[in-house]
Amino acid sequence: MVFNLDKRKCILCAGCVSVCPKLALSLKESIVCDESLCIKCLACEKVCPVNAIKILK
Amino acid sequence: MNFKEEYDAVVVGAGPAGSVFAKVAAEGGMSVLLIDKKKSIGSPVRCGEGIGEGKWKWGKHSNFRVPEKAVAAHIGGALLVAPNGNSITVRNEGTKGFVLERKIFDKFLAAEAARAGAHVRANTGAKNLLIKGGKICGVRLEYFGEEFEVRSDLVVSAEGMEARIAREAGFGLPSFSLYDVDTCFEYEMVNVEVSDLIEIYLGSCAPRGYVWVFPKGRDCANVGIGVGGHLGLNPKKLLDKFIDSSPRFKKAEVLEEKGGVISVGECLKELVKDNFMVIGTAAHQVDPIHGGGIALAMKAGAIAGDTAIEAWRKKDFSKKSLSPYTEQWNSTEAKRLDKKLVLRKVIEQLNDSDYNAIIEALDEKELDKVLKGEYKSAVARVLLKRPQLLKVLGVLITN
Repeated sequence: MVFNLDKRKCILCAGCVSVCPKLALSLKESIVCDESLCIKCLACEKVCPVNAIKILK
Repeated sequence: MNFKEEYDAVVVGAGPAGSVFAKVAAEGGMSVLLIDKKKSIGSPVRCGEGIGEGKWKWGKHSNFRVPEKAVAAHIGGALLVAPNGNSITVRNEGTKGFVLERKIFDKFLAAEAARAGAHVRANTGAKNLLIKGGKICGVRLEYFGEEFEVRSDLVVSAEGMEARIAREAGFGLPSFSLYDVDTCFEYEMVNVEVSDLIEIYLGSCAPRGYVWVFPKGRDCANVGIGVGGHLGLNPKKLLDKFIDSSPRFKKAEVLEEKGGVISVGECLKELVKDNFMVIGTAAHQVDPIHGGGIALAMKAGAIAGDTAIEAWRKKDFSKKSLSPYTEQWNSTEAKRLDKKLVLRKVIEQLNDSDYNAIIEALDEKELDKVLKGEYKSAVARVLLKRPQLLKVLGVLITN
C-alpha cells in the first residue's frame, strides 16, 4: 500500500484531499485513496496538520 | 423526498458561498438545488470563525445582518503580539467584528436559501460532473449509497478547499504548490480568559503564519495555528508548545479539535467556464494575510448569483455570459487581495527580531493604516529603526 493513513490520528480535515494534484484522494466517511492515480508527490504527507499520513515508495 | 431531475442550477457545498448564491439565485426566480455532503451543514468547519462587521456587503445585498444567535462573541478590535511579548492594540469602528458559531450561522444561511425557494439537501455528495457532447449538463449525486443524475444548465462549485468538482472541471490545475497554502490546527477551549479582542501572535511560534486566540464567549476561545504548508511542520505540535508555555492556558479544557489547509495565495483568475462557476474558498478567494474567507465567500456568492440570474434570463450560460462575475471580482476584491499578497511575501521574510522591532516602531494609528492597506508611513517608521529591512520592505512602498 502506498497511501498509509493512521486513522487514529486523522481529524478528517481533508487537507490532503485539497492538495492532491491527481484527485486521488477524497473524503467520504474517511479519507479514501485511489492508488492507481497516486504519483507519490508526497504533498499529502507534508501538509497533514497532524502528520497522520505516510507514503511508502 | 426525491430530488427533481432538473434544475436551473446545482450548487455543490452549502457553506457561506454556496448558500448565499443559492438564496440570490432563487430570489431571482431560478430553480436551485443546494447540496452538502456533510450530515450537518456547518459542522465541522475548518475555520477560525472570525468575520469583520460590514465587510460582507455587496451592492443591493447590503441589508444582510448576522443574527445574534449565530454570534459567539462580539469583537472590538485586535491585539497583535510580538515574539518578545510586546503588543499593539487597535480598536475602532473599523475593527469591529464577530466570532461566529458556524454550526448555527451556516445552517441559518442555508435556511435562508430554502426560504427563498431553493431545494436544500444535507448528507448529499456530488460524485462527478455530467458531461454530454463535451458540455457540462449537471452532476451525479450520491445519497444513502444510491446515485442520482441531476441535470442543470449551471453547476456551481462552492466546495471549499477540497474543490473536487471544480478541479474535475479544470479549475486551478495542476494543483496547489504547498507554498501557497497554510496548514492549520485549532482547539475550541473553555476556561480561557479572554477580552473583546482577537489576538494574533507573530514569529517563530508559527512559521509563515500566526497563532490566534479568537474569543467565543466570556471564557471560551478558538485557539489555533497556521504555518506555511511547504515547511513540513506539524502545526498541532507547534500549537501544543505555544499553549504549554503559557500559564494563561493552564486550566483550559478542549471542547473540539479541528484543522485543515487554507489557500494563502492568489485567487483563481479564471472563475467561470461554459455552464460552470466557482465561488468562495474553492476559487481561492481568501485573504492571504489572515486566511479569512467567510465574507469574501459571501460576496462572491452574491456577485455570482446576480450574474447567474442575468444569464438565466438570456438562457445563455456560456463562459462569456457568465464573465461579468469574473470581471467584477477581478476589478475589485482580487486587486485588493493581490496587494495583500505582496505584504504576505514581505512579512514571511522577517525573523523574530524583525517582528519585535516592527511592533515597537508602530503604534495603534500606524497599525490601523496597515490594516487598511496603507503601508507607506509604517514602513518609513520601521526603516528608521531598522534600515537593513529596506530591501525586504521596499516593495511595499514602490507599487
